[in-house]
Amino acid sequence: VYQVFETVAKKYDVMNDSMTLGIHRVWKDILVHKMNPCPGTLLLDVAGGTGDIAFRFINYVRSVRQRQLQRKLKHHQNLSWQEIFESYQKDQFNSLGDSQVVVCDINREMLKVGKQKAQHLGYSEGLSWVLGNAEELPFDDDKFDVYTIAFGIRNVTRIDLALQEAYRVLKPGGRFLCLEFSHVSNPLLSRLYDLYSFQVIPVLGEVIAGDWKSYQYLVESIRQFPPQEELKAMIEDAGFFKVDYENLNFGIVAIHSGFKL
Amino acid sequence: VRCQQYPPLRALQASAALRRASDEHKKEPLTSSSQQHFDSPPAGHQPEQKPQGPHPSYTGQGGQESEDYESEEQLQHRILTAALEFVPEHGWTAEAIAEGAKTLGLSVAAAGLFHSDGSELILHFVSECNTKLSELLKKEQKLVQLGEAEKKPIDEFLRDAVEARLKMLIPYIEKWPQALSVLLLPRNIPSSLNLLTSMIDDIWHYAGDQSTDFNWYTRRAVLTGIYNTTELVMMQDSSPGFEDTWRFLENRVADAMTMSNTASQVQSTGEAVVQGLMGAAVTVSN
Repeated sequence: VYQVFETVAKKYDVMNDSMTLGIHRVWKDILVHKMNPCPGTLLLDVAGGTGDIAFRFINYVRSVRQRQLQRKLKHHQNLSWQEIFESYQKDQFNSLGDSQVVVCDINREMLKVGKQKAQHLGYSEGLSWVLGNAEELPFDDDKFDVYTIAFGIRNVTRIDLALQEAYRVLKPGGRFLCLEFSHVSNPLLSRLYDLYSFQVIPVLGEVIAGDWKSYQYLVESIRQFPPQEELKAMIEDAGFFKVDYENLNFGIVAIHSGFKL
Repeated sequence: VRCQQYPPLRALQASAALRRASDEHKKEPLTSSSQQHFDSPPAGHQPEQKPQGPHPSYTGQGGQESEDYESEEQLQHRILTAALEFVPEHGWTAEAIAEGAKTLGLSVAAAGLFHSDGSELILHFVSECNTKLSELLKKEQKLVQLGEAEKKPIDEFLRDAVEARLKMLIPYIEKWPQALSVLLLPRNIPSSLNLLTSMIDDIWHYAGDQSTDFNWYTRRAVLTGIYNTTELVMMQDSSPGFEDTWRFLENRVADAMTMSNTASQVQSTGEAVVQGLMGAAVTVSN
C-alpha cells in the first residue's frame, strides 16, 4: 500500500479529478456539510494526505465564524466605539474560533504534497500535519471531536483496528465519519460502473500518471471492500452508536457516520 | 431497524462515565414522565459490582464500570434540555445543541445526532411545555376536587390555561418566530400538529364536563384557533407584561362563548321556524 501511494502522491489530485470526473469534490463537500462543524471543533483527518477534507473544513468553519461575529456585532448597537473596537480586535485574531485540523497520513509524500498545497492556497492557521498509521494512531485517548477518513479506509489492512483507534481517540460525544466507495445495488448502474472502472480508469492512470498497476490496484480494492451494511456492523462492533450511512450516487460512494456515546 | 448482535440497550459507556464524574454537580436528569415519550424500558439503577465481560448482558446491566446506563433517546433528551439554555443566544440551531452537549461534557460533534435545522430541539421544547401544562392543570384539578379551590367558569379556565402555556414562551420569545417557521416545514408538520392537538385535547379534558353545546370537533377547532391567533399576537406584542396579548385572548374566548350561545339560539330559532312552516303548511292544506 505504501508504495502505491508513494508513486501516486504527486498526481493524486489530478487523477481524482479525472477518474471521478470531478465529482469527488462534491462528495467531499457533502461530507463536510454533513459534519456541520461549529467553531472550536477539533478534527482528525486520517489518510487525509493532500488535505482536501482539511481545507474544506477550514473554509466551512471560517464562514460559520463570520456569521457568528456578524450576529454579535448586530447586538453591539449600544456600545461605545471603544468597546466595539476592542471586541472586534479580540475576535479578529480568532477567525477560526479555535478550530483545528490534524491531518494524519501514513505516507510522507502525501503529507508533503498536502503541505505544499496548503501554502499555495494560503491556509496557514489551524492545520497540523502528522505522520501516523491508522491502525495505531500517535494520539492520546479522548482528544478529538470529529474523526474523518475519506477514501482511506479501504487501504487499511485491519479495518477493525482502525475503527477501534478511531473510537479511542474520539471524545465522548465525538463523531466518526467515513467517506468511501461502496456497493452499487442498482444492477444497470452496476454494470456501467464496472465497465468504467475496469476499462477506463487504469488507462487514465497510465496516461496521466504513467502508472497502470497502481490504479488497477485501486479499482480492485474498491471491489473487495465490504458493502454498506457490513461496514455499518463493523463500526457498531467498535463501539459506536447511531451508526448510519448515506449513499451518494446510488451507492458508488457512501458516508458512514457513528457517535461515541 | 438495526440488525446488530447486541440489543439496543447496551450501556453508553462514555456518557455513563461522564455522568459519574460529574455526579456532585449533576442535576436530576429528566425522567420520562411525559406521555409523549415512549422511551425504551427504564435504566436499571443497581450498581453492578461484580466484574462483567467486555460486552453488556441482555438484562441491560452495564459493564463493570458504569453504575447505571441510559438509552440513546434518554441521552438525546438530556442534550436537548441542556441546549435550551443557549437558545436565547444562538437561536434554535445546531450551535445551541452543540453548546448544550458541551455542558454535559460531550463533544460539540454530538450536535450531529440531530438535524441541523434544530427541529428536534423545538419539538422537544414544545412537548416539554405541554407536559408542564398538563401537570399544572392536573394540580389545579386536584385542588378543586379536594375542595380547596373553586371550580372556574369555562371561559376563565380556558383563558388561564392558554395564558399559562403561552407564558412558557417568554424566555424564548425573540427566537420563537423562527421556531414557528421550522415547525411548519413539511417534514415536521405531522409531529407539530400532533403535539398541538394533544395539548388542546388536554385542556378540554381538564376543562371538564361543562356543557357548551359544542360538539367535540368544533371545540377542538375553536380552541386551536384561539391558541394560534393569540400566539401570533404575542409575537408582535411589545406591551409591558404582554397585557395586549392577554386582553386579545380574553376577547377571543368571550367571542367563542357568545358563539356557542348564538349557536344554541340559532338551533332553537331553527326549530321555531320549522314549527312555523309546518303550521303554515297545515293551514294551507286545509
